Amino acid sequence: MNPIAFVKNYWRVLLLVVFVGAALVALFVPGGIFADDSVAAAANDTAANETDAAGLTNLQYGLGLDGGTRLSAPVVGMTAEDLEIDSGQTATVERTLYDELGVDPEDAIVRYDEESGSYTAEVFVDNVTRAEFAAALQEADVDATEDDVRDGVTETTREEIVRTIETKVNEAGLSGGRVTTEETLGGEYFIVVQVPDMTSQELRTLLSERGVVEVVAHYPENETQVNETVLVRDDFDTIGSASYNERGGYHYVPVTVSDQKAEEYQQQMVDLGFTSAEGIQNCGIKDPETDEIDFEQGQPNYCLMTVVDDEVVDAHSMGRDLGQSMASGEWENDPQFQMITPTQQDAQSLSVNLQAGSLRAPLDFESSQTYSIQPALADDFKLYSLFIGVLAVFTVSGVVYLRYTDVRVASPMIVTALSEVVILLGFAAAIRMPLDLSHIAGFVAVIGTGVDDLIIIADEVMSEGDVNSRRVFQSRFRKAFWVIGAAAATTIIALSPLAVLSLGDLRGFAIITILGVLVGVLVTRPAYGDILRYLLTGEK
Amino acid sequence: MGYFDVPEIDYTRYTNRQLAAVPLAVLAVALLVLVGWFLAFGTPVDAGIDFTGGTELTIETSTDRADVPAAFDEEPASIQAVQAADDQYIVQFTSTDQEALRDQAESNLEPAAGGDGVVQSVSSTSASFGSQARQTALLGIAVAFVGMSLIAFLLFRTFVPSIAIVISAFSDLVIPLAFMNVAGIPLSLGTVAALLMLIGYSVDSDILLNNHVLRRGGDFYESTYRAMRTGVTMTLTSMAAMLVMAISAYAFGIDLLASIGVILFVGLAADLMNTYMLNLSLLRWYKFEGVNR
Repeated sequence: MNPIAFVKNYWRVLLLVVFVGAALVALFVPGGIFADDSVAAAANDTAANETDAAGLTNLQYGLGLDGGTRLSAPVVGMTAEDLEIDSGQTATVERTLYDELGVDPEDAIVRYDEESGSYTAEVFVDNVTRAEFAAALQEADVDATEDDVRDGVTETTREEIVRTIETKVNEAGLSGGRVTTEETLGGEYFIVVQVPDMTSQELRTLLSERGVVEVVAHYPENETQVNETVLVRDDFDTIGSASYNERGGYHYVPVTVSDQKAEEYQQQMVDLGFTSAEGIQNCGIKDPETDEIDFEQGQPNYCLMTVVDDEVVDAHSMGRDLGQSMASGEWENDPQFQMITPTQQDAQSLSVNLQAGSLRAPLDFESSQTYSIQPALADDFKLYSLFIGVLAVFTVSGVVYLRYTDVRVASPMIVTALSEVVILLGFAAAIRMPLDLSHIAGFVAVIGTGVDDLIIIADEVMSEGDVNSRRVFQSRFRKAFWVIGAAAATTIIALSPLAVLSLGDLRGFAIITILGVLVGVLVTRPAYGDILRYLLTGEK
Repeated sequence: MGYFDVPEIDYTRYTNRQLAAVPLAVLAVALLVLVGWFLAFGTPVDAGIDFTGGTELTIETSTDRADVPAAFDEEPASIQAVQAADDQYIVQFTSTDQEALRDQAESNLEPAAGGDGVVQSVSSTSASFGSQARQTALLGIAVAFVGMSLIAFLLFRTFVPSIAIVISAFSDLVIPLAFMNVAGIPLSLGTVAALLMLIGYSVDSDILLNNHVLRRGGDFYESTYRAMRTGVTMTLTSMAAMLVMAISAYAFGIDLLASIGVILFVGLAADLMNTYMLNLSLLRWYKFEGVNR
């Protein structure tokens, strides 16, 4: 037989071989089909670092099979949309909101929405009612009623939160954190955070800290001590990582103040008296033994306090050198200083908070969902699911053999069903889809449906006596295929809601099963038909 | 051929009424169970913590099982030992204060020898998250069922055979639901997946039967037998795979896979009955009497 006729005759089988070959490459050749990581890096960096550890295959494992924590929570807040505000008035409206609702400046914001060309106002606290919010807006001369206010925050806010959390979890010394948003049926959005190597408590602590960092000056004025915020995060240009000063024996984060702010800050320090003889090295509010802050000292104090989420982390006096360079006006040329913290951990979290910025709005842990699993148990699950998969294959093979006792029919059936699983695994490895328990269920389902369809083909082809000609075979095969196509269509329809709706773990199950059905109908089952024809008709 | 073959049933001995009576009676009992549950507990199916909210801990401890509840301030809703691993338990609570539960477990339970702490995994769902998930799941099932029905009508374009598929698929869903109540399996994400899978899986044998009887020539009983030989083999293979998955996953303490396996096993068993008694009787009526009307 010449090569062209051969290909014509067996193209279905050849296609299957090509698919299985590609899948094996994707699975076992280091680097897989895409030699560089760029293609899939954006899609999933969850386990890029684990590829080496896993060693044997290029498969990536999700939370349930690798350990880690996932937390889904909505954002606290409400939004008034389509507001008409004069472009110069946004700051005034924001200020009115702070005053009327009694919220902190970071808890209310007015933005311009490019797309709709109108303004939106948001508040990020849960103790304000819609009516109060609308009333506050009216107080600011904005035309808004209670009906204009909805629960939830804007997309911009959610995107900011996702970015901030991404930086936070990845800055905390972990890689592979993944942050996404998910929409529920009711139009509510959840922020979904997934990190390997972190317990649920650690993740929750990291996320519940809003991370609003301020430098507050604590100084005497008219016989009493007053506080004034002198620097906020946006005033910093570069932020270093947590460092340790060997000579002084303290932990700190090196920061540089931006050029625009440096002069103002320097002047402020001078005006408030921090660089005077009385101000320098005069801060007694922190107990040197216990590190506790006590404001009731009764004497003038000049302290610079690092405040995170309204909590004083540390307080220090103005250093002699720094004070002098500020007094002489030289400091603004090289506006650096060190934010000192009591412990290494504080320095670490301060650096993270400064670099990531603060969460635009807090997360609502009251309506959250968490899942957390120890890596050891997850490893067990990996082994167990492999075992369950293999067991399922053996069971199916056993039943098929018992039914047909004809090795010519049964063995290609099992081989074809297995190749379906190999193709899917290869696909998962190629797009770096992290495998989870739900995917394993999908694989078992694929083995089940796959064999079902092969049984339909085999029975149909072998019905009514021997298959002795190609034409008889073709017509029977086509009949069988109608049923398979119909069955595949119902399975895909039945599972498509799961693939679209956000129902936690189940999306993976649905996607794998649907893909499996498609691969089966388009690739493996036609190939099985060819193999069976060859074996039964003896046609060379 | 084969160590087992599908027996040929002499359908001529039974009337359509007799044939349909059994599956309809089972369906009625299943519906009664669901209605009874609704009247008694306010919900037709017991929902698990995925949908009601609550916390599930997997713990590894050398403390005796009987002493585990005492470690927690709140009485656990359920404790299940993991068969494959010594000293591993899955404990469920209705509380969602996972941090407190975790602390109680770590401080009051003895860690197993060589283990890395007591709490191996925590999964916690708040009540409002759960009720959203429940709505989503219900919608998913409804959409899947309607979609499947539409396809059935598209494929056969005649009322009786199509509605026969829809009715038996409905029964395939209701029977496992009633079974879940009786067997004490709560509705979880895993069981919802299984129910959806069942919608897709169970109509395969109905489509096969309808196709053989309606779209091929030949004697009704002969066509039926051919369809049965293929269809019963298919369903039995799937049932075997699901049973193995259910048993092994239960032994390993992997709830998700175990519940998918059990529900599919029961549903497919129900499907055998529904396809070859209910669907078949409707088809026979249609073929011999309905067509001529």
